[in-house]
Amino acid sequence: MVEDSVIISARNVDFYYGDFQALKNINIDILRDEVTAMIGPSGCGKSTFLKLLNRMNDFVPGARLSGEIFIGGESIYAPEADPVVIRRRVGMVFQRPNPFAKSIYDNICYGPRLVGVKKPKELDELTEKALRAAALWEEVKDKLGKSALELSGGQQQRVCIARALALEPDILLMDEPTSALDPIATAKVEEWIKDSGLSIVIVTHNMQQAARISDKTAYFFLGELIEFGPTKELFTRPKEVKTENYITGRFG
Amino acid sequence: MLEARKGHTRQNRRRRERAVLLFIRLTAVLALAVMASILLYLLINGLPAINLAFLTEFPRDSMQKGGVLPAILGTVVLALGALLTAIPLGFGAAVYLAEYARPGVLVSFIRLGVSNLAGVPSVVFGLFGLSLFVTTFGFGRSILSGSLTLGLLILPTVTASAEEALRQTPQSFREAALALGASRWQAIRQVVLPAALPGMLTGSILALGRAAGETAPIMFTAAAAYTLAPPDSIFREVMALSTHIYNLATNSTHIEETRPQQFGAALVLLVLVLGLSMFAIVIRAKLRRGRKW
Repeated sequence: MVEDSVIISARNVDFYYGDFQALKNINIDILRDEVTAMIGPSGCGKSTFLKLLNRMNDFVPGARLSGEIFIGGESIYAPEADPVVIRRRVGMVFQRPNPFAKSIYDNICYGPRLVGVKKPKELDELTEKALRAAALWEEVKDKLGKSALELSGGQQQRVCIARALALEPDILLMDEPTSALDPIATAKVEEWIKDSGLSIVIVTHNMQQAARISDKTAYFFLGELIEFGPTKELFTRPKEVKTENYITGRFG
Repeated sequence: MLEARKGHTRQNRRRRERAVLLFIRLTAVLALAVMASILLYLLINGLPAINLAFLTEFPRDSMQKGGVLPAILGTVVLALGALLTAIPLGFGAAVYLAEYARPGVLVSFIRLGVSNLAGVPSVVFGLFGLSLFVTTFGFGRSILSGSLTLGLLILPTVTASAEEALRQTPQSFREAALALGASRWQAIRQVVLPAALPGMLTGSILALGRAAGETAPIMFTAAAAYTLAPPDSIFREVMALSTHIYNLATNSTHIEETRPQQFGAALVLLVLVLGLSMFAIVIRAKLRRGRKW
């Protein structure tokens, strides 16, 4: 049975890009209000798995999935599931900051407008709330009409976070969100992740980052989920030799 | 052992480097010189003919006197009509090719068709327009027939440049919109198109310049040698600068006497086309400012 505290649950998930099997029999239960980190060497399937959670892999030609993924108890690959609705409930922040070539305000309002929010007052409130939640409000409140592309990389990434949060998603997916940022901007984003209190799944190639910010860590290797558990345990007393090899830097 | 040889080819290398540089510079200068001499030639021969009356009056006395106003108007109307024809078709095709089409036989054929269309001589477009629009559809020699014909002529350019502009829009824009729950068309309309539009329009305006300068296609479909009627209906024949020059220089009763008018009209046409190109460059620069991809 799916417990109440479980928000994402994958059952026997196999995933293929054409003939290549990118994920092999993944089973995992991710808990509500926790930060879950996915680590592993390049090409291990961690990003692929992340993109399955909001069906962004739908756009890849030749992609095929078997097994089931549940979010909040609902099967998101069921025939009646609507990927557009799923993506409104599961937000995503990408590797490189990708604000639209629009004002900061219009970036944040993009999601709410899609679901039909039109009243200026409501949009103003949502914008402030989202920017505060992304710890960006104080820095940009006087220049909401400026192009988001004029901000620094770290600020741009937090615009993207705020843009995703404006839809009040149940879960936020983050695909190496700091890999294009400098150390100071990285620290800000990490701090935000730790304090957000949201259900976050974050893919990172940086093990120290996973150790710093996550409650649970999943280690992927060659398309398999090798080990999944509390971050402290996984980094101090890994159960699997493969995990130990990776975190001690013997390869990867 | 190799150490001694490392400076070995130095003399030769430098000489070759210099020769190549010289050659490249020469070709650049030559290109510029051709352009400049055409302009100079037209300026010297055409400028004396140009005054306010030349730009604002109708031709008189078998075209020996008066101005070229109707031809200027005709050219502008035809070129704008061509743009109105080509933009919906071309942008639609570009969105399909860049955003929706999965690589395959059909798409390869469409692309092949588009690029082949670009290589078809303009006189063939003229004959095509004559038989389809003028005769079959019964539009007669008119602004409508001419605009449609010129529109088809620039369609490949408009399509190709629009597709290129769409492809240069970062994938991450699409991803961001889709991840926020936009449908495919919403992502294209709200995010991709606004970002790509400057590039798409630049290509179109350059094509507009080409349409304005074309002669053969409108000779068959739209151009009158002489008409006093204003272009107030799309079913009217019009005069155009390019055909006006051609007519004066080959068909008129006073070929030698109208030389100044011929050069004057050519100069006006060139300025018009260059002006359009400049305009395209300016909006591109303006809209590109402040974006970094």
